[in-house]
Amino acid sequence: MKIKKYQKPIRALLVLIILYGTGLEADGAATDSARTIALEAVSGMQYNVVRFQVKPEETVTLSLTNKDDMAHNLVITEPKAREAVVNAALALGAKGPERDYIPESEQVLWTIPVTYPGEKKAVTFRAPKKEGAYPYVCTYPGHGFLMYGVMYVTKSGDGMPDLAKDTNIPEARRQEQRPARPHPYELSPPYWYRAFLEGTSLASIAVHLPQQLSYCWDMEFCQLRYAWEGGFLDNADLWHGHKNAYAKILGTVFFSDRITKPIRIGEPGAIPRVDYKGYRVRDRYPEFHYTVGDSDVFELIKELPGKRGFIRTIRIPDATEPVWYLFDDASGATYEFSAGVMQKGKVVLTPAEAREFTIQMIKKENP
Amino acid sequence: MNPVLTLAFVGLALITVATSCSHDDPQSPSYVIETIPMPADLEAETGGLAFLPDGRLAACFTRGEVMIYDPAQRNWEVFAKGLHEPLGLWVVNARELLVMQRPELTRLVDTDGDGEADLYEKVADDFGLSGNYHEFNYGPVKDKNGNLFIALNTASYGGKIQPNTRGVVNTLGRDGADGRRQMFSAVPYRGWVMKQTPQGALEPYASGFRSPNGIGIDPDGNLFVTDNQSDWVETSTLYHVKEGHFYGHPASLVWKEGWNRGSPFDLPIEELDHMRTQASVYFPHGIIANSPAQPVWDTTDGKFGPFAGQLFVGEMNHKRIVRVMLEKVKGEFQGACIPFLDNQGLPIGNNRLAFAPDGSLWIGQIAHGWSGDKGIRRVTFTGKQPMDIYRMSLTTKGFDLSFTRPLDAATALNKDHYRIRHYYYAYRKKPFDEPIDHSQQSNIQQIGIKRLHLSPDGRTVSMELDSLKAGYVYELELHNVKSKDGMPAENQTICYTLNNLLE
Repeated sequence: MKIKKYQKPIRALLVLIILYGTGLEADGAATDSARTIALEAVSGMQYNVVRFQVKPEETVTLSLTNKDDMAHNLVITEPKAREAVVNAALALGAKGPERDYIPESEQVLWTIPVTYPGEKKAVTFRAPKKEGAYPYVCTYPGHGFLMYGVMYVTKSGDGMPDLAKDTNIPEARRQEQRPARPHPYELSPPYWYRAFLEGTSLASIAVHLPQQLSYCWDMEFCQLRYAWEGGFLDNADLWHGHKNAYAKILGTVFFSDRITKPIRIGEPGAIPRVDYKGYRVRDRYPEFHYTVGDSDVFELIKELPGKRGFIRTIRIPDATEPVWYLFDDASGATYEFSAGVMQKGKVVLTPAEAREFTIQMIKKENP
Repeated sequence: MNPVLTLAFVGLALITVATSCSHDDPQSPSYVIETIPMPADLEAETGGLAFLPDGRLAACFTRGEVMIYDPAQRNWEVFAKGLHEPLGLWVVNARELLVMQRPELTRLVDTDGDGEADLYEKVADDFGLSGNYHEFNYGPVKDKNGNLFIALNTASYGGKIQPNTRGVVNTLGRDGADGRRQMFSAVPYRGWVMKQTPQGALEPYASGFRSPNGIGIDPDGNLFVTDNQSDWVETSTLYHVKEGHFYGHPASLVWKEGWNRGSPFDLPIEELDHMRTQASVYFPHGIIANSPAQPVWDTTDGKFGPFAGQLFVGEMNHKRIVRVMLEKVKGEFQGACIPFLDNQGLPIGNNRLAFAPDGSLWIGQIAHGWSGDKGIRRVTFTGKQPMDIYRMSLTTKGFDLSFTRPLDAATALNKDHYRIRHYYYAYRKKPFDEPIDHSQQSNIQQIGIKRLHLSPDGRTVSMELDSLKAGYVYELELHNVKSKDGMPAENQTICYTLNNLLE
C-alpha cells in the first residue's frame, strides 16, 4: 500500500478522547499551535458546520461533540472520495462495529471514531499540502449519504465557492429551500388537519373556513372547542417529527367553550357519554357524526357570510327526548338559536326541533 | 384471434427473447430499480403502500395525504387529505381503504365514486395517546377471520407526556429510577399489538414491543412483527406474534390484565426473561439491519425471482432491504436473514413494501426526522437468475446452504471460503449512560467447519460444524464461493437465528 506523505502525522499525534463536559481546557493541549475547529453532530443527520477552511500544512485539531441521540463518527477523505469511502464502510459488513465503521483505505486521511451521544472526541493533524476540497463524512451505516461536509485547503482566505453553488455540501444546506406549497394541491378553504393542538384533546381536528376563520373540534369530547381569526396553522414542528410538538395556531382565538359536552339529551345536569363516529364531506365541509348517550348527532359548521362568525347546523334525527344546549356567556361569542326556548345559560329544544337546528355564533366585539 | 390476446402473445414473445438474452450476460442485473415520479410539492415521506385490485397503488404520506398512482398513466390523484401522520394502509376495495393515523384507525370511503374519499369513519380509537412524538401506530393487517391487527409504539424518553392525554395515565410504565433511555408506556396499550374483531372491539393481543414499525401476516395466517434495536432489544428482531405472549420490552406490561407487580422495569431480569418469547429472527445490528420496517411475503410465484415464499423486510439505515427465510424447528419459526439489493440503487429509509399484481416490489421511503429518504422505488425482476444464497437451513450437524445457481465445486468445497462465527444478544436493561444505538454481541466465537459436501445438483452445500448451540446467531460469510459459471454471490453475509436444535 502506498503511504501518503501526510498520513504520517496521524500516527504521531494523539487521537484525543475527551468526555463531554471536561474537554474545554484539554482542547488546546494537543499542540500549542493547533487551531481548533469544533464540530457538533446535531439532529437531522448533519454536522452543525458543513464547511470550513484551513491553510496547506496548517496544524488543526478537529473535535466532534455529539449532541444528537444517535452515534456518529467522522472521516476525512481524499478529494472526491467521499462516496467511495462511505460504500467501503458499508462493505465492512460484520466487521463494521468493531472498526468504528471506518474502512481501511488509502482514501481515508484522518478519522474520529464512533462518538456516542454526549461524548466529545477529537483528532489533530497537519492539513494536506495540496489545495483542494477534502470531504468529511459520518460513515456510520446509513448516515454517510446525508451527513457530510467539506474542508477546503486553500492558501488564500477566500477560497470557498458561493454557498448556494457549493456541490461539496448537502443540497439542503446550500440554502433553506421550502417547497412552494405544503401539498401537491391548492389549499382553498374549507380544508383541515387532524393534528395535535393545545387546549383540546389529542384527538382533534382543525378546520380552516373562508373569511379567515378557523375552528378546533375535539373528537374525544365531541364538541367545538375554540375558534380563531387570522391565519390557520403552522405544522412545521409537527410534520418534522422526532420531537414533541403541537401545530401552532396562527391567529387570535376569539371563542373558547369551557362547558364540557354542551349537548345534553333528556337530562341537562349530567355529563353524557359521547362517542365520535367520523365525518362526511358535504359540499366540501366536514359534517361530524357522534353519539350523545344513544342518539346519533350530526354537526356541520360553516362561515356566516359577511360576519365574523359561523353557523352550526346540528341534527339529531332520532331524538325522542328534549335536547338542551348549554352555553357560556364568557365564551367570547354570541349565540343565536334557530329554535328552542332560552333559559339561563341553556336552550331547550323539543325532539322535533332537535331534528335539525342551527346555532349562529358571532364574535363579541367587546367581550 | 382476439386482437388483445394477439398483442399479449407478441408481448410474451418479446419478454421471452429479452430474458433469454440477459440470462447469458454476466453483467446484466437480475433486478432493476426505478424511481417513481412523485407529484410536485408532495413531501413524499411514505407511511403506507398498498395495491388496489386493479393494479393502482395507494400510498399515504406523513403530512396526511392518501394518493393513488396509476402506473399505466404515470399519474397521481388525491384520495384523502388532512390525516394525522398516517403510517399504514389496508385496501378493502377500489373505493375503500383503512388508514392508521395517530389518533385512530380510520375507514376512508369514496361513497359517490368521484375518486376522492368523502367518508372518514372511525374504526378504532380505544387506545391511549400521551402526545409523545414517538407513539407511532402501525398497520393494519387483516387475517382470514376478518380480524385487524395494529401495533402501538412506546413513547420516547426524549419527549414528555403532554397534559392533554387520552386514556388513563400510569407512570409505572415509565422507568424513573435509572432508565433515562428506556422507552415507556404511560397510556394504555403502548407497546402492544392490538386486535380489532369484526364485532368492533379493540382488544390487547400481545405485549412487549418497543418500536414495532413492521407488521405483516404470512399466507398461512401467522402474524409477524419487526422491532427496532435499543433498550431491551439488543438487536432488531422479527417476532412471530401469538395471543397473550410477551416479547421482551417491559413497559407495556403495566396494561396486562390484572397486573399488580408495580413497575415492570423493577422485576428481576430472570423473571422477565422467563416470561418473554424469543424472536424468530435477530437482525444483527450494523451487519444486517439497524431499523427494520414492514415485512412482506413473496407470493408472486416466481414473478419476482427465485425467492417465492420468503419475506422481504424494509430497512431504514442501509441502502437495502432484507430477505428472510423461515423454517419451523420444534414447532417454532426460526431462520436466516441476508441483505437484498445492496448497492443496486436503493436509497436508505426503506419503510413500506408492497407487491404489485405484476410481481414487482414497490418500496416507499421515509425519514421523519431520522436517517432516511423520500419517495417510492419499484423493483422488477429481469428474468436473469441471480447468484445468491437461496436458503440456509438447519441440519443436525450444521447447516445446508442452497444457492440459486449451481456452484463451482472447487470454490464451494474449500473450507477457507467460509467464515462462521456465533454470538448471542443478551436480554438486558440498557444502562443509564449507554448510547441508544449501542448493540453488544456476546460470546463471539469462530466456529470451525468439519466437513463440506456438495449435492449432486451442485446447488446445496451441506456443512458440518465443530459445534452447534441453541440460543446463538450463526453468522456465515462467504469468501470467493462462485457459481459454476464464475459468478460471485451477490450477498456474502447471512445470519441464522438458532433458537432450537433439531431433535
